[in-house]
Amino acid sequence: MRKLVALILLALLTQPLVFAQKHRSLSEEQRIIHVLNRLGFGARPGDVERVKAMGLENYINQQLNPEKITDTVAENKLRELSVLNMTTAELYEKYPQPGQLLRQLQARGMVPEEMPADAAKNNQNQPPANPLDNEKNRKVIEEYYRENGLQRPQRIIAELQASRILRAVYSERQLQEVMVDFWTNHFNIFANKGADRWLLPAYDRDTIRPNALGKFSTLLQATAQSPAMLFYLDNFQSVSPNANQGRRGGLLQQVRPQQQQRRGINENYARELMELHTLGVDGGYTQKDVQEVARCFTGWTIFQPRGGGAAVNAMMGENGRRNAGTFVFNARVHDDGEKTVLGHKIPSGGGIKDGLMVLDILAHHPSTAKFIATKLVRHFVSDTPPPGLIDRVAATFTKSDGDIRETLKAIFFSKEFNSAEAYRVKIKRPFELVISAIRTLGADTNGGPGTHRWIERMGEPLYGFQTPNGYSDAAESWVNTGGLLERMNFGLALAGNRVQGTTVSLAKTNGEQAKVMDEYLKTLLAGDISAATRDALLKQLEPTDPATKVVGLILGTPEFQRQ
Amino acid sequence: MNRRFFLKSGSVALASVGMSLSAPSFLERIVLGNTLTGGKRKTLIAIFQRGAVDGLNVVVPFGESNYYELRPSIAIPKSGNDSAISLDGFFGLHPSMSAFKPLWDSKRLAIIHASGSPDNTRSHFDAQDYMESATPGVKSTSDGWLNRYLSSKKDADESLFRAVSMTKTMPRVLQGRASAVAMSNLSEFAIRAGKSSDNLQGGFEAIYARETKDSLAGMGRETFEAVNYLKKANPGQYQPENGAQYPRTPFGTSLLQIAQLIKAGVGLEVAFTDIGGWDTHVNQGNSRGQLANLLQQFSSGIAALYQDLGQRMDDVVVLTMSEFGRTVRENGNRGTDHGHANAMFVLGNGIRGGKVYGQWPGLKSDQLYEGRDLALTTDFRDVFGEIATRHLGSTDVKSIFPGYSSNASKFKGFLG
Repeated sequence: MRKLVALILLALLTQPLVFAQKHRSLSEEQRIIHVLNRLGFGARPGDVERVKAMGLENYINQQLNPEKITDTVAENKLRELSVLNMTTAELYEKYPQPGQLLRQLQARGMVPEEMPADAAKNNQNQPPANPLDNEKNRKVIEEYYRENGLQRPQRIIAELQASRILRAVYSERQLQEVMVDFWTNHFNIFANKGADRWLLPAYDRDTIRPNALGKFSTLLQATAQSPAMLFYLDNFQSVSPNANQGRRGGLLQQVRPQQQQRRGINENYARELMELHTLGVDGGYTQKDVQEVARCFTGWTIFQPRGGGAAVNAMMGENGRRNAGTFVFNARVHDDGEKTVLGHKIPSGGGIKDGLMVLDILAHHPSTAKFIATKLVRHFVSDTPPPGLIDRVAATFTKSDGDIRETLKAIFFSKEFNSAEAYRVKIKRPFELVISAIRTLGADTNGGPGTHRWIERMGEPLYGFQTPNGYSDAAESWVNTGGLLERMNFGLALAGNRVQGTTVSLAKTNGEQAKVMDEYLKTLLAGDISAATRDALLKQLEPTDPATKVVGLILGTPEFQRQ
Repeated sequence: MNRRFFLKSGSVALASVGMSLSAPSFLERIVLGNTLTGGKRKTLIAIFQRGAVDGLNVVVPFGESNYYELRPSIAIPKSGNDSAISLDGFFGLHPSMSAFKPLWDSKRLAIIHASGSPDNTRSHFDAQDYMESATPGVKSTSDGWLNRYLSSKKDADESLFRAVSMTKTMPRVLQGRASAVAMSNLSEFAIRAGKSSDNLQGGFEAIYARETKDSLAGMGRETFEAVNYLKKANPGQYQPENGAQYPRTPFGTSLLQIAQLIKAGVGLEVAFTDIGGWDTHVNQGNSRGQLANLLQQFSSGIAALYQDLGQRMDDVVVLTMSEFGRTVRENGNRGTDHGHANAMFVLGNGIRGGKVYGQWPGLKSDQLYEGRDLALTTDFRDVFGEIATRHLGSTDVKSIFPGYSSNASKFKGFLG
């Protein structure tokens, strides 16, 4: 069986002989570990044997079709995360912003506006920063939250982060989770920008997940019409300066007073769409193209981007309530003139079709194929992506009409991916490090803030990257002193059961430190450790040391930082 | 730890330079650096007031009648109880900032009013982004201006602590190619495992000392040199000098620890910290109230830092900034909304202080920006540029502020 699998794999490689010369090959066991590390977040106890039994190629193909994998364990773990299944409108209602709520209550006369501030007590070094620091206001708000079964908005992102951790740890659909992480970074959104924290659960659920292994063009359109992206890159407020806006248009927009004067074209989305989502910075577009694309997307907006006030909801009725925070095309503010984008004429009067045409042009542009191929190869193979592989992967992308599955296959069955040069060279990003440590140790986690806090400390809070380019996929961004120190501290905390919400049970050493150490080197690193590191580790161990120490140290070795 | 102690203990490291074929270690580099510069490294401490402070109630234009007309309940009175601290007969400081008065009188403190970003965004997110990237209107800039400064001026004696942000995560302004360290507290820059910390640190040190092939190993060795160096400085035992009393708040602690790093001679060139809570839409207060209390903390913290650093302020400049100002007119909730230009402070023994720099645009309705906000007369990049050039000694402001021609003719002259 083992030989058969090896033969099949060999046959799949396009140039096995050249490969044998240029690229040192991996053993079967190494290939399995490599796949479990790159297509997933590391091997749980028993995973290597499981993959060996079913055959590596079968495993890869199964991972490429996640919808066919049953995933009961992960689904059960997510049960208590209620935000995952709520509509944006429900999130606005159940997780209101305290400041906004206070203003609403004040406007309705339920809280007196003039509150003697604690400030007046001249409490020198502990000044209240906002009205909610006022003791009485805070009490009123707290009461209101309790009585009405409401929760703080911070909870939304905390639950979303927990869902990402839980799925990465427990899901059998490992490649799906890797791709969700990849696309979430590629189409990055920052949770702390305005309404985005309410918009992100839908973004993860409805935009990224269903399309993570589908067609790139479908994914691209889903992001373009996602309220989260429309808000993050300001397109929701981009309107034609010539648009004749009646009162109804104004109501639909629901902009805050300080934004009302900023009517007009906003080029932000148009630029990032080409620079970061499709063509790449040198992909061959001009400033003129940016302006024209921005014109095409005028009117792509959000119905009640901030949930809308009570008055608006009353006027709009139940329909208005349900649809708050969803995509809407507002034809009244759309620039309906003719445009030219990357040499393509977009005729006047196209309405919403203008934007759809732009997305189509971009999704099928050769620069996009190259840009996406480069990023995928960097992610799955090496920080310095081999140009030959990029070209082949880009060709597959184009030939398959941007089929992400097919594109990934071209990577996974390439000689470069399966070479010794690619083995354990990628530095794990903090999310990958935390998840792989939990998985390889067979630890149990609730995915809560206690675990996420470590990912944040190491510099990668989920949905916490401010600018649209997303977290870097190259080692240089992650190898710095503070970051390395936190990685070591995380290893010690995890092994010592000091990561809140995550528990690990380690073997008893019974005075056999060396034996236990070697067992853990096998579990955590499949024994891939330099003689120097093993020797240094061994010298550290006293006969009385618990496994906590050896595991903590192994998690902090240079070797464990790589995958 | 004082510099003499440092040089003494550092001499051991120096002695090993000749024997080592590898690049000088962290300790060796800062020893060399301090020796070459006589220990006089210039330092910038940048402070971000996140949330947009109401500059018109910080540096109060009490000479403007419109100020009082537009702010019936939140204005700071010109005279009488709780009045503004007069600076020059036209401007006054908020009365809760009395800690700044002696600094002003001794001409160590200067103000640049009506300054900020020329972009008209009133989004906190975008405006902070622009102020930290120093490319207003351009969102795709991936690095911050302080990082570009660090990258533009390669420092052969570069210390791991050349750029330190006393914040939980690396702020935008320090993100980029050059390395920088972010930590919310000095005590966190260590192996933290209770009683076993030393033992485990020793374990990691041994592992990272032995490994030769992996590039991570070199970084690991540097990390522990820095950790050990900081440990010797003994952050827990720090006593501020000259009777300085820092506010017991996260902001006060950040400033205290920055002073500590400067005194420990770790090669600090750029320090950053921030303080939030300035977004006073509701019940902002006037001479007293929420803004007053925050300003009290802000000014007393900076004054304590000045006092603590004493003569070292010869080589230090403190710079404060906030993403935009607030509306001239108070709103219906006795607060202010998002506006445009703002006031910045610069402090140091090298500052030509006691002066409000920048052209004052006025507060009459036709003088306001978009009919509502303080107009902008000084681009923040000219303030940053002057500090980068005349304090930090940059010769390449062009690369720090891409797409902008910042040059000496635009500098305000607060650094001579």
